[in-house]
Parts: sequence; structure tokens; C-alpha cells
Amino acid sequence: MSVKVGVDFGTSNSGVAVYDGQRVKLLAVDPKNVLPEVIKTVLYITRDYRASIGQEAVETYYRDNVNRQRRYVKQWAGEIDVRGADMHYVRDIYVYVDELKPGRLLQYLKTALRKDDYKGTYIFERYYTVGDLAKTYLSLLKQRAEAVLGESINSVTLGRPVKFSESPEQDRKAEETLRQAAQEAGFKEVDFELEPIAAALDYEQSITQPQNVVIFDFGGGTLDIAVMRLGDPRTRKVYASGGVDIAGSDFDRTIIEKRMLSHFGHSQVIHHPELLEMVNAIPDWMALPELGTPINKNILEKAIHAGIAPVRLKALEGLIYNDLAFTFYNRVEAGKIALSSDGATIISLEDKDIALWELYTRHQFETDIYHYLIDVEKVLLDTIARSGLEPGEIDAVVKTGGSSSIPLFTEMLARVFGEEKVRQSSAFSSVVAGLAIKAKMSSVVE
Amino acid sequence: MSSFSNKIDEWIKEAEARPGSALMIVKLVAKRLRELTERNEELRAENIALQNGTRVEEYQKRITHLEYQLDLLKRRFGASDVEPAELPTPPTTAATSSFLVYNAYGRISRIEINAATQALGRIADMKLQDREQPRLLVVPSNEEVLLLFTSGRVSTCAVSNIPTLECGAEWSWDQAALPDEPRAAEMLVCITPLSHLPITEFFLQVSRRGCVKKTMTSMAQSILANHYLGKGAIQKSDQPFDITLCQKTDLFAFVTFEGKLIGLDVDDLPYSVEDRIRLTATDYVIGSFIAHPEESMLFVTQTGKVIHREHESLDLSKSSLAKGQSLIPPSRLEQGVRFVGAASVRDTDRVAVLDARGNIRVHMAESIIGGGSIEADGLTGEVLSIGVIPADVWNGVHP
Repeated sequence: MSVKVGVDFGTSNSGVAVYDGQRVKLLAVDPKNVLPEVIKTVLYITRDYRASIGQEAVETYYRDNVNRQRRYVKQWAGEIDVRGADMHYVRDIYVYVDELKPGRLLQYLKTALRKDDYKGTYIFERYYTVGDLAKTYLSLLKQRAEAVLGESINSVTLGRPVKFSESPEQDRKAEETLRQAAQEAGFKEVDFELEPIAAALDYEQSITQPQNVVIFDFGGGTLDIAVMRLGDPRTRKVYASGGVDIAGSDFDRTIIEKRMLSHFGHSQVIHHPELLEMVNAIPDWMALPELGTPINKNILEKAIHAGIAPVRLKALEGLIYNDLAFTFYNRVEAGKIALSSDGATIISLEDKDIALWELYTRHQFETDIYHYLIDVEKVLLDTIARSGLEPGEIDAVVKTGGSSSIPLFTEMLARVFGEEKVRQSSAFSSVVAGLAIKAKMSSVVE
Repeated sequence: MSSFSNKIDEWIKEAEARPGSALMIVKLVAKRLRELTERNEELRAENIALQNGTRVEEYQKRITHLEYQLDLLKRRFGASDVEPAELPTPPTTAATSSFLVYNAYGRISRIEINAATQALGRIADMKLQDREQPRLLVVPSNEEVLLLFTSGRVSTCAVSNIPTLECGAEWSWDQAALPDEPRAAEMLVCITPLSHLPITEFFLQVSRRGCVKKTMTSMAQSILANHYLGKGAIQKSDQPFDITLCQKTDLFAFVTFEGKLIGLDVDDLPYSVEDRIRLTATDYVIGSFIAHPEESMLFVTQTGKVIHREHESLDLSKSSLAKGQSLIPPSRLEQGVRFVGAASVRDTDRVAVLDARGNIRVHMAESIIGGGSIEADGLTGEVLSIGVIPADVWNGVHP
């Protein structure tokens, strides 16, 4: 016998749930995590192509990588044709490869799906398309869910944002890639549901009367909004939906850009383009690991020797060459999360050559991300306008997703709709719970 | 500085917006201040050490130690006259292996061996050995060895400086070399190869009554310059038994005459001398070795019986006065069975056995483990001592 499950393949966290018609059961797919029902959307692939996900991936990465030895070898990567008016020659391209690298940690897999310019990546000798990465992750997630359930899973309802991308073509491609990845991972039947609508289905379980509801699903990768009529399956209706590519990862990036770069000598290397390029790459989680080449090390060491911000550049060297990027991003994210409940927090990173300490307040955070608030409010009001309803006609605003806990956005929702209407549903489980309900509904129909 | 002032202004704005944050900010800043004060103190102490020369002396000692290790490596690779940058790649198969037999009077016989050797020879005057039994050791011929005496004195000797005896012949102790004659009331305890000194972390000593002491190899320079390592024993009547070089991740084991086995985690051992086993009045340590995971343990009785144990069966002793694992039941002990040798071996290794008639023969470890006895493999008398010949040394491949 096989069951149909709901899978929330989130930007930062994922989850699997099953609905028996009465109760939603969230599956403990990551026993090592603090919340076993939530699994980090990270994938670690070793040199011998063994893959792990979630907390296991993180632990393997830390065990194998931090402060490890490196040995670079020059490798032929391909060739380029150089053509001029009356000349043409072919030039070989070489890259430096760290042959002691034990594995690669990949995160933000869902963001990669919607990036038009990111097709895939080489992991040692093999090329993984974005679909291959998603397939590997989903396949391991499926195995874990099957182990918890004790039965095989053949069908899935996958969550998807309202818009993977602003471009309809890219949006369609991203969904198709995810569908194919799920099928290759072993799900024979795959259907999709919009994440805010899934969250709405979860909310619907708790109400007794029909309501006009705004679902505000603000996660790690996107903001998804749905305006719906809920409470009676016969009159259930989606008035309007909308979304924007603003979410938790953008806030992390903003914090790094505005508050962290000075710790790595940003203002001191302003007239040294090679150094400035390295410092400016810090907020980019895809670019930072690629900086660890012998050429860059040589540049950094020369600058340190010449006395150009030696302490800060030494910290940059440590960040790049001791594989501390993942730790660093995690610390920034943890600081951001802490500010949802506290007025101040410390973002720190202590390691060999790094002694980063930043007292960061909610006031600073809100100033830093204020421009996002304007964009978010605009998208929200546009969606409400398209629904044909007035804010006063909305009975409840349901927040879900990690970023929905940020007080700045809660206050904005309270200002627009009234404080009494804003409800917080489970930040990490309402979408997956709704997907499980949708999975059950669609399997009954079938 | 201006950017820091801006930060303070921003902190104040937070405190104004949410007065509850003020307390938290003060707490966080105070905690940081305490951390920085401690760090400042550490840096000032470091500065004082640099200014008064303490740190310079420490670095000078380290340099001297490194120079000594370099010297050892040069001697090992036979490149004493060349610059470090020109150190030749060591030959992997060219060097020969030397079989050393030595007694408590400091006499050392050296026989060059090869893969075809079966009988190593015979000691004609075995009866002269009335106290400690002779001991056997196989090392590459270009090795440097450390001699440990009962007084705690140490000296070094290049194996190549010891004259060789004819393989398979009969010889007496008078013909053996005496590179460092024991002093009054002193005996030679053991000889251990020294070339791995630069890549090991500790000297590990065990005494006859089971006391263990580890000493950091970073102190080798002063130990060898002063020719003194120490007895590594608590009681005056006790004396050192063996010394070995090891890493902190190694497991060390020793075995007693009455068949008690003790396993110790090197990392857990103290630097001071510590009693690690509760022995009967008549019992004493007869063998010690580093237990490698890929090897198994071999124990030999005086009648040539062999007891074989897998590495996994070694229990690690945490207590300072453990009784140890018994290798044989008490009934066999009452029948007079006693142990004379123990080692960690691979199946492909050879085991050299010295018997009471003075004959030294080589046996395949695999065959004596399989047979359960050395007797069946041509033993001519009571076993006195054993020595392991690693397969790579036997084949002339010196790691």
C-alpha cells in the first residue's frame, strides 16, 4: 500500500506530512534537528558522491571541512575562441581545483530553480543540473519519510510559490524542473499546490464560519500572498494571489552588506579593486566559496604584508580559506531571527584569525530593510485591490513562514488590517500541513 | 571612529524606541567589555614575555629541537653532508635489515637478514644469562637506536656502527659489540628505534611492576643531551622494562609473566609516573606493544604455546590499579604456565624465537597462530624471548 504525502520543498527548510482525513501528521524526517519535523534544505555531496541532507549534511560538512588542508592543482577547464578583425585563435582555460576538498554543501536549492542564469554545477567530475540537485534532495527526503511511515510513497503534492519568477517562461520552466526532479526521485504522481493556498487549507481546519482571509506566506525565498474565501468547501474561492522575490535570504544579504563588510576591511580596500572584489563577494553565498583560489590567497597575503588593513584581511582570509562561509551565514541568520523577539542581539564569529563581534539592534535591522517593507506593502495592497475586496472586508490575516515573525511586517499588517485580525500560524508547518490536506483531497477525487 | 559613534547613536535610538532593549544592550556591551579585558590581559602578558626574552628563549629551544630532528632525519637518510633542500629520496628497497640480540650486560649482536633467512644462528653461551633474558629486535640497518639503562640513563647508537655477525652461525656473547657499557650497578633494559622520533609525540615507558610514564618527544633534545630520561618507576626496587615511541591516538598494551593484559589509551595517561596494575608479589611485566587496529595480539608461553587475540578484545583500563584481563584460567596458572613474550602482529609478519638452547629461528606469524604453538614448528627448548619482524622490513621495504 502506498500513501500520498504533502512535501514543502522550502528555500531554507522543508517538511513532509500526511493527512488521514482527520489529523495531519508531520513526519519526523530529521531526528537530529531541534525540530525533527523540519529539515534544512541543504545537500552535502562527498567526493565519492554520497549525499546527505538536513542536519546530517551540516554535521558532515563541519566535520570534514572546517580548518582542513587544501591542495590546489591546475586543471584544464575548456577553451575559448578569440576572434578579431583578421585573426582567430583558441585559448585554453585553466582553473585551480582543491584536490583535497572532501565534499560540497549546497543550499538555497529552490532559489536556484528560479534563477535563469544558474543551470547547474560541477561537483568534482560530475555535472549536476539544478534538477539533479533537487532530485537528489527529494529522493533522500522520500526515503526518510518512507522509513518514518513504514510504507512506500508513490504520490506527492508539492508546494510551489505563487511566482517562481516574474517571467512566465521561467516560472513554467522552474515548475517543470521540480516536477521532473520529483518524478526521478521516485514519486510516480506529482501535483502542485500554491504554498499560500496550502497554508489556507491548514487554517481552514480551525474556523467554523466562512471568512475572507489573507494568507501572508513569508519564507526564506519568496513572499506569497493569497486572498481567499475559506470556511466552507463549497464556497472556497481564491480571489487573488500575488508574490514577490523578497524574503529571508534578502534580509541576510542586506545585513551582511550593511553591517558585516566593514569587519573584512571594506572601507580600507576601496582603492584596491582586486581586494574590493573579494570583499564585495561576501554577501553572495554562491560566489564566496569560489574565492578560495591560490591567486586570491597570494593577493591577500601580499596586502597583509604591505599593511593594508592586515587584521581585517586576515579575517577575510580565514573566512574564505577555513571554510567558514556556511557558519558565517548561519550566524547572520540566527542574529536576524533573534531580533524577532529581542531588541538587540550579537552577531559573532570567533575562529582562527577572526574575531567578529557586532551588536545589532532591531532599530538598525528595521532601518536596513525598510525599503523592502515598502515593496512588500505595495505587493500586498495590489493583491488586495485585485481581489476586489477592501481591507475592512478581510476577516483574518494568517502569517506563516519564518520571515512573517519579523515585527516590522507584523506591524505593517496590523496597520493595514487591524491588529486583532492578524493571526500567526505555525511558521514552519502550516504549509506542509496544508499540502498534506490537499494531497488527501486530490487522492480522494482520483 | 565616526562609524563607531554612528553605531552608538543607533543603539541609543533602539533604547529610545523600546526602553526594554536598553538593559539588554548594556548587558551585551558589558559582556563584551569583560571578554576584551581578559583578552587585553593575555596580550599584555604575551608582550611582557616578548620584551623580557622568555618567548625568545622558548622559540630558541624549539629551533634547537627542530635542528636536532633534522639531524636525525639526515642520519637516517644518509645525507649528513647535503643541504636540507637536497635531501635525497630514501631508497625504498635498497637498505638491508638488521636483527639485534642484546642482553642486560649491554652486549649487542647484529645479524643482517634477508627474505630467505630461516635460522638466524645460535648463541653458544646461553647459560651465562642468569638474570634478564636476551631480547630481540629487528630494525633497518640505517636506523638509529636508543639504549635505556636501569638507572634511567639513555644513549644513542647508529645500527650501522655495530659489527655484524654471520647469519646462521654459532657465536658467543664475547663476540658481540658493547657500544655503551653499563655503569656500576646498571643494566641495559631495552633498545628502541629512534628514527620516527620527529613524527611521534611521546616516549612511553613501562616498568617491571607496571608503572607507566609518558614524556613529550619535544623534550628529546634535552633528554638526549643530558643522557637521562628517568626510570619511570615509583618503588626503588622497581626498574624500567621498555620504552616505545607513540602518538596520542595510540593504544598501548602490556602483559605480565602471569598472563595479565592491560590496555591503555595513550592520550589519557599522565605525564607523571603512575601505577597501572595490581600485581602479585611474583608477577612482573614481560611484554609491551602499541596495539594497532589492523593487527592482532600474540602472547607466547615458556612452553611455546601461542594465545591469539583480536585487537577489538583489548579492554581499555581507566583505573590506576586495575587487575587486567586474564589470558589464561587460574587452573593453568597453577599448572605453572607463564608468559615470556607478547607482540602486536599481522599475519604476514615473522616472529623470531630464542629458545633455552640458544637457537634463534624465524617463524611465520600466520603459521604459529594457526598451529597455536611454536613447538610444532621446530622449537628445541623452552622459549626465552620473541621478537617481531614486520613483513615490510623482512622484505627489505623500509617505510
